[in-house]
Amino acid sequence: MRMLCAGVFLLWICGCSRESATSKKTAPSDGGSASGSMTLAMMPKSKGNAYFISCRKGAEEAAQELGVKLLWDGPTEPDPAKQNEVVETWITRGVDALAVAVENRGGLSTALRKAKARGIPIVTWDSDADPDSRLFLVNQATPQGIGQTLMDEAARILGSQGEFAIITASLTAANMNEWRREIEAHRQARYPGIKMAALRPCDDLKDKAFAEATAILNAHPQVKLLMAICSPAVPGASEAVKQSGRQDVKVVGLGLPNDNKRYVKEGITPAVILWNTADLGYLSVYAAIAAAKGSLKAGATRFQAGRLGELEVRGDQILLGKPFVFTRENIDQFDF
Amino acid sequence: MRTPLSGETGRHELVLMAFLAAELLLFSFTGRRFATAENGFEILRVSVEFGLLALVMTPVILTGGIDLSAGSLLGLCAIVLGKLWRDAGLDPGWASALALAAGAAGGLLNGVLIARLKLPPLIVTLGSFSLFRGLAEAITQGVDNFTGFPDSFLLLGQGYILGAIPAQVPIFLAVAAGLWLLVHRTPFGRSLRALGYSPEGARFAGLPVGRNLILVYVLSGAGAGLAAIIYVAHLGQAKADAGTGYELLAITAVVLGGASIFGGKGSVHGTLLGLAALAVLKNGIALSDRPSEWVGMATGALLLAVLSGEAMLKKMSARVPRSPTRDSTSMPSGSP
Amino acid sequence: MKSLPPNPWPWREGSVVVILLLSLGWLGLAAPSFFKPAALWPWLTSVAPVLLIATGMFFVIVGRQIDISVGSQFAWCSVLAGEAASAGWPWPGILASALLAGLALGALNGLLVAGFKLPSIVVTLATMVTLRESLRAWREGEFVRDLPDSFQWFGLGQSLGQCWVIAAALLLWMILWIASVRLSVFRWVYAVGSNAEAARLAGLRPARITFGLFAFMGLLTGLAATLNAVRFTDVDPKTGAGLELQAIAAVVVGGVSISGGRGRLWGVLAGVLLLACLPSALVFLKWPPHWEKAIQGLIILTAVAAEGVHRARSRGRED
Repeated sequence: MRMLCAGVFLLWICGCSRESATSKKTAPSDGGSASGSMTLAMMPKSKGNAYFISCRKGAEEAAQELGVKLLWDGPTEPDPAKQNEVVETWITRGVDALAVAVENRGGLSTALRKAKARGIPIVTWDSDADPDSRLFLVNQATPQGIGQTLMDEAARILGSQGEFAIITASLTAANMNEWRREIEAHRQARYPGIKMAALRPCDDLKDKAFAEATAILNAHPQVKLLMAICSPAVPGASEAVKQSGRQDVKVVGLGLPNDNKRYVKEGITPAVILWNTADLGYLSVYAAIAAAKGSLKAGATRFQAGRLGELEVRGDQILLGKPFVFTRENIDQFDF
Repeated sequence: MRTPLSGETGRHELVLMAFLAAELLLFSFTGRRFATAENGFEILRVSVEFGLLALVMTPVILTGGIDLSAGSLLGLCAIVLGKLWRDAGLDPGWASALALAAGAAGGLLNGVLIARLKLPPLIVTLGSFSLFRGLAEAITQGVDNFTGFPDSFLLLGQGYILGAIPAQVPIFLAVAAGLWLLVHRTPFGRSLRALGYSPEGARFAGLPVGRNLILVYVLSGAGAGLAAIIYVAHLGQAKADAGTGYELLAITAVVLGGASIFGGKGSVHGTLLGLAALAVLKNGIALSDRPSEWVGMATGALLLAVLSGEAMLKKMSARVPRSPTRDSTSMPSGSP
Repeated sequence: MKSLPPNPWPWREGSVVVILLLSLGWLGLAAPSFFKPAALWPWLTSVAPVLLIATGMFFVIVGRQIDISVGSQFAWCSVLAGEAASAGWPWPGILASALLAGLALGALNGLLVAGFKLPSIVVTLATMVTLRESLRAWREGEFVRDLPDSFQWFGLGQSLGQCWVIAAALLLWMILWIASVRLSVFRWVYAVGSNAEAARLAGLRPARITFGLFAFMGLLTGLAATLNAVRFTDVDPKTGAGLELQAIAAVVVGGVSISGGRGRLWGVLAGVLLLACLPSALVFLKWPPHWEKAIQGLIILTAVAAEGVHRARSRGRED
């Protein structure tokens, strides 16, 4: 047994010395094959989310166009430490660029700073880290934009008076909390006559969102609008409204068009707000690679991103555009 | 001291070391920069938190019990730390000490219910699994996230000693050494094994069964508290969902290490081996550019393979009649 | 002998029923809208699959085993049923695919536990993780969409569909309840759970019975998954998360001893209902949602502690 211990240890040492002899530099080495193609590591907030799958499709498209190797990985568990682990592993592995959708700003920024100190260019997308830990943020829409659009649509449906309820994924999700703050700020500023009657988490599960929505409809009969701010909750809430038979209640939310086409067409969900997620993935890859190659530098005001054309760069944010509202009129044009 | 089952323990560890060696070999070929000292330390760093849980879970499992609440207790202690530091103005040292005490208190609750009321550990810790996480969510109202800890505190989880060794590693090694001594070289440790093997026999032999059982759970709780401190220092934040799923990882490591879930068999060095196998698996798969889902599938497969392999070896060697050992489908009275 | 020797007094199960009735009564006073048909029917429909899972778990636990992989099995069966439906299969085919998938997964657990004599908690931990991650790798969170109209509510429309789902679960539960008291095969489960060695010496085959427990659990999971899936028009692959905790908690609160050999199915019904009304109750009572886990934990611990105190007091009770 002791021999085996010693044997394993020796194996490790041999491996160590073999590897360190060939790769002693701290800067990231060539990401891929000897032909010098770069490696971009891209991380969504969590892998089990259809929203991020659609982002991935755009990212893969861009990676193919640019001829870079795309590593797509992320946590499958909700524990905040998992994103850190993935980033740390990539630092060890050595990548040419990082594009991260940040779940936990405080926690992940530390790991990102470490990557930055190693010379890895970092771009955040979908949600931000601390600005000093990354080069650029690829922003599909600011939290203000999202919150305001949601509240504006709600007001359009409710009028100047009324009550609505919010269904979120979990109470600990950082970006949703930010959106909720923006929604509340906008409500207070513009629509004081509208009140929020309830806030319920659905743990990112459609079935649970359905149950919560049903309970809200019955416990708060005066609520005429359900605002579902996580993508599984929108069809869940819409189905709840449909099954309750209540014609006076509508649903708005942040979700994917494909999940909601049925309800949008039936009039239960007048508006689904999102952005073109594939474009977000696409742009993130372009931005990250451009930052790595040095063609995108601080202070730039315009950025050319493949088929998206020229986009605005505001400070250190690359803007994809404003939130997009899917309605009955336009939803068929989209397939994601 | 040799237990009647030490022959089997040796064999199991051989099997595990073989797996570990195979993993190391495989990943040094498929993983980029896998076999480097830097990566070795990174593996250690990310494993410390659930590694501590696995270490203190070992004596619990030795007694034939289980602690499903470890991860939730970690979350609760993290919140206690954050709350005391931010809202009560304590300095991180005192907040950490109190968080540790909170962990011990949680363990005490488990221990008293299990030892005094003779309740099954599985169910008690299932209840406290919900309760502790629920308390963490209640204290933070689900949303609160404690960040902005002073750098001196963060060094504990993010700093390096001698430039290369992560700061939490010496702590982990110290706990591992201390626990090994406790379990394998003290009468207390021996009594745990006796307890797990036959609680009634232990009682008749005059061992303080109730007291030792409570102590074991208090130890587990304190371990969770320590892990929480390191977790918060590592991530730089404390949120209610900290440590989600860690207890299952810990249990997997302990069982991989050869402990019998029914009690009476197991070792701290076995747990360390199990931890090593798990941590290397996770890291190796990630560095081989494979998605994280493979880690879960490989872990499940590894667990089943190791256990089935051992069961088959046992069957084959059981041709020779030996003194009666316990049949693993029937549990002695009083165990979970 | 027609049925099992009864517990001297179903103190344990009776107390759960009393607590359930009290809770419902209190809810009726504090938040009567909970009992509105528009709220009650969907709630009962959502409880139906959980009842089936808890029933299967009841037998597993009475047999002194445990199965924490049911949530992942549930997800797989749901997704497979959805895929079968979207491939255009008729209802018998869809049902068969869900049931067979559940049976297969349960049989796998049973094989490992009974055949290889591995501890059930470790086996089902491993299968839970493997199943969950493999499903994630396949679906990546994507719903199974665009199911034919005949899928939801078995094509029977909402009110009839809800009746059927609730009735099916309740009926099956009742049949199993009567069977558990009357049929010898279930008596064997109690025997194996009490003392497998004695059961073996008495001529039973504990290994086969244990295998059957897990296979049966899998079968019920497949059925429950179908009953749950027909409530919607698409299938979320994350469905079933936390189901094992719900089921085990319901069974334990319902008075089943985790050490095996004791318990009654009607206690399980009470346990299921008690724990299931918690999330909705919070909405109706307008309490903040972040109390849900804490209250759930308290219920479980109180129920178990009460049993412990009772047992510690009564003499001569061995477990």
